[in-house]
Amino acid sequence: MHLHLVKKDFLLAKKYWIVLLIAAVVLPVFIQTKLTAGGEFPAFFLSTLYVVFLLFNTVSMMEDKYRGAALLCATPYTRTALVAAKYLFIFSVFFGCFILYTLAVLLSPVTISMIDMYDFGRALLLFTVIFGVLIPVQYRFGYEKSRYIFFFLVFLTPFVLPGIMKALQHDNAGTMSPLPFSSPLLGLLFVLLAFVIGGISLSITIRIYSTRNL
Amino acid sequence: MKPILEVNGLTKQLGNFQLKDVSFSLTEGCITGFIGVNGAGKTTTIKLLLGLIQKDAGEIHFFGENVQSKEREFKSRLGIVLDEGYFYEGLTLLEMKNIVAAAYSHWDNSLFNRNIERFGLSLNQKIETLSKGMRMKYAIALAISHHADLLIMDEPASGLDPQVRMELRDILLEYVADGKSVFLSSHITSDLDKVADTIILIDNGQIVFSEEKDILLDQHGLVKGDTKELNDQTRNLFLTLQETEYGFSGLTKDKASVRQQMNNTLIERPSIEDIMLSYIGR
Repeated sequence: MHLHLVKKDFLLAKKYWIVLLIAAVVLPVFIQTKLTAGGEFPAFFLSTLYVVFLLFNTVSMMEDKYRGAALLCATPYTRTALVAAKYLFIFSVFFGCFILYTLAVLLSPVTISMIDMYDFGRALLLFTVIFGVLIPVQYRFGYEKSRYIFFFLVFLTPFVLPGIMKALQHDNAGTMSPLPFSSPLLGLLFVLLAFVIGGISLSITIRIYSTRNL
Repeated sequence: MKPILEVNGLTKQLGNFQLKDVSFSLTEGCITGFIGVNGAGKTTTIKLLLGLIQKDAGEIHFFGENVQSKEREFKSRLGIVLDEGYFYEGLTLLEMKNIVAAAYSHWDNSLFNRNIERFGLSLNQKIETLSKGMRMKYAIALAISHHADLLIMDEPASGLDPQVRMELRDILLEYVADGKSVFLSSHITSDLDKVADTIILIDNGQIVFSEEKDILLDQHGLVKGDTKELNDQTRNLFLTLQETEYGFSGLTKDKASVRQQMNNTLIERPSIEDIMLSYIGR
């Protein structure tokens, strides 16, 4: 049942598939060529964030325009299933971007570095924190109102992005040193933490959506 | 006939509008017309039935079971046609069908394909290219292809031409011939004159009456005559009365007294619309 709802989100954004597929491969290569050594994490994270946000925004716009969720909620699809499918959609695009990045590393004529477990873990954690806030905010305030909130955040990006880029590109060892874990184990802990945050966000969104008038 | 859906004390406050203590029941094998003017509370009631709006109070039972505790089972036995369609317009008919069909455990694809063929639709067509009539037919094809026991339709005839409305009436009559039921909201009452078995009138968020159509039409009479027939006593026999310099016309619920007290009048069978307007205009 969830699978069909995830498929529905992909269908709603079908016009943008090709562009975003290309972006998911080309963007990380381009970003990495502009950065110094250790640029694989910001390259992967920022390109994935861009692709997922555009897809998420496109689907939300379609949902707001056609209000198809009202029809689906009148069928045996539950509101919980609709919300869970939204999270599944977002995370499946994230994993899709990871696969495309890996393919780009293997096939690109430009030398770019592979993402290790640590980078994958912190990318997933950051990604979960961002969408773990974005999704409930959108369900709470609706597409139109939340657009203004996100617009304000995007407006802030040029001011804070250089700082974030520097921090993300910072030597991995420096960020790991206070913790007594190996790099892959720390990555795994980040993945687990991402699942916990994702789960909390999911339950908040389900609660918000269960009382919403459609 | 057994009641299939029973609504008791349904209440909802939505801004300045309030749905007040709405109670009615739908019987098996019947077409029930849910009538009222725009803003009377028809769509709000239907959305409450479908769980699209959370109720403040009241209970809904489907075949004796509380729908809140068996929501998925209830919805799997319902067919839905909503006023605006609520379809993802950029998708094809096939893509939209695949999404909806996956929700139903008793989806009958061969029945759906037969309906699509019968309605002259093409599955590869985009929903946004459908005319209003075609869109309604598509919505019906989706709603009746999982052997639903009850078809709930919100203003299906709104904006349709007379030919499509006639086709809609035929579809509904065929549907109930199989022992299924239809709950149909409309402010166009002429179609209900032809197909409805029961009429429920809602006005300003309250149920005014719920009655079998034939009883309703037999009980009421559209009286026409000279204004000389009117006096303080006879005026009280009418629900509404329009007077002109040529005479009067009015709707009564007491035809026997009219016949007894007003000799030179003509009593005609009213339409559902005459009855509706009389009750909401009081």
